[in-house]
Amino acid sequence: MNIVKILLVSFYFISVNASGEYLHAFNSEILLKQQQENKGKRWLMLLWSVDCPPCYKELALLRDLRKQYDLLPIIIINTDDNDEVSEERAQVIKQFELDDLLNLYFVEGQGAYNRYSIDPNWHGELPRSYFIDEQGKAVGKSGLLNKKILLAWLKK
Amino acid sequence: MILLLSSTTYAQTHDHKMMMAESKANRCNSSNIICAKTVTSAFAPNGDLWRVWALNQGLYYQISTDNGISFSDVVKVAIVAEKISARNENRPKIAFDNFGGVYLSWAMPREKKYTADVRFSYSADYGKTFSKPITINDDNLLAGHSFNEMLVKANGEVNLVWLDSRHSYLKRMKGEKSNGSSLYFAKATPRDNDWIFTNQELAQSTCVCCRIAIDFNKTGHLAIMWRHIYGDNIRDFAMITLDNQQTEPYRISYDHWYINGCPHQGAGLSVDNNNRYHMVWFNQGDKGKGIFYAYSDNQGKTLSKPLPIGKLSAQAAHPFLLHNGKALDIVWTEFDGLTHQLWHQRSIDNGETFSKATLLAESKSGSDRPFIIKSEGQSYVSWHRPKQDHWIHKL
Repeated sequence: MNIVKILLVSFYFISVNASGEYLHAFNSEILLKQQQENKGKRWLMLLWSVDCPPCYKELALLRDLRKQYDLLPIIIINTDDNDEVSEERAQVIKQFELDDLLNLYFVEGQGAYNRYSIDPNWHGELPRSYFIDEQGKAVGKSGLLNKKILLAWLKK
Repeated sequence: MILLLSSTTYAQTHDHKMMMAESKANRCNSSNIICAKTVTSAFAPNGDLWRVWALNQGLYYQISTDNGISFSDVVKVAIVAEKISARNENRPKIAFDNFGGVYLSWAMPREKKYTADVRFSYSADYGKTFSKPITINDDNLLAGHSFNEMLVKANGEVNLVWLDSRHSYLKRMKGEKSNGSSLYFAKATPRDNDWIFTNQELAQSTCVCCRIAIDFNKTGHLAIMWRHIYGDNIRDFAMITLDNQQTEPYRISYDHWYINGCPHQGAGLSVDNNNRYHMVWFNQGDKGKGIFYAYSDNQGKTLSKPLPIGKLSAQAAHPFLLHNGKALDIVWTEFDGLTHQLWHQRSIDNGETFSKATLLAESKSGSDRPFIIKSEGQSYVSWHRPKQDHWIHKL
């Protein structure tokens, strides 16, 4: 567990998912904290759903890139605000070997609120990626990204 | 990205409220309709309003004889438990014939991710008993078959359409690339002991995660509208009418939404007595963003100028429409950051002009897609608010 996650667990209420201790309930404070932690460097926030086949391709891309390169910070957010998929989303993150990253999920019934709090101009299409630059400016992009774009942004 | 711009006070207050809501939500584990993620409603020919939902591998229904004011006790459909897709764009369907027949269809997830079968069951005795469910897709492949839609004619002819990934599955097996699913159709008349649902492919390269819209046209032919993949992942809508004349689908929208992903927003279609096709859809293309309404007097070959509906800045989404012979109604949802809203517009001149949009209802607990159903020329909106209620309202 990296230092950022230790701080997060220490300072903020985090609902731990029974199916995967690496999954935490989305809380805007966590994201704000992450934003502060990452000030001065680029980072990526990827939102995905178990009902989105292209999302799996992007998760697989990240897995492969992480094996080959030393990458800048990545946050993964599952948008299924549905307790029925708790186990499934945990398995997916484990399957793609992303469980050491900060993984958040939208809590049941809060999907629209969480989505809006991230970006009121995003309509829920997936996968959704946010490229946050050194000044904290975020640019959102919908749809599967290719390896070239991801690597250009994330490579240290 | 509002999170980076908004005050932490809003976020903290809101998060606290949401955690309280979560605590309540976690107690929901019964067959109660408010625990369902989706509800499907329809009027039977005798005027009864049925509503059906899925929970814990079971299908449940209730009947109202007073247009949704009160309902019978919950009845569990007596079929063997199996997984049932019931969230977002995927949900069970119900329909009726004129002889007391009740028809159910749903998607049953299989053991591998993104695989499912389209299932079907029939009651000849108005719901007292149901037939053993059968699988409609006839490929016997562990592939995707879901997003089923069903219409039943008065004589009991069952028409089913769904998104089917057998084509892409077979291509993958050969090491070839493919994009999207296919549109499939099957029909049979179990009431006449015809249970052979011969599968027919209608189109390839459809979007994989958006509901299909269907209606019978004036001559009784099935019209189908779906989100198609044009070229390199342009997700616009297409239409075909199964009238034995149209050979290629018509392109309906030109909003040019480029996305190699899942919009999770299908269309709405309603054909009126003059065979005018009324359509509504959502896109986020560089040439068109938001909800649009248009009509066609030649089965989708040409359209009226698409009319924007709702406020895009308020997350207007999930439109549905229905013509009841006198009026055309459109409903959709919006979200202001705290409250889900259900909005409505009506046209009494067959889609030429619309009344001012009015707010019908709100929800703080969540929002299913809204639908419109009708009985004897009267339309009602059906809006499920998970953890709150299933709201039915006369339009």
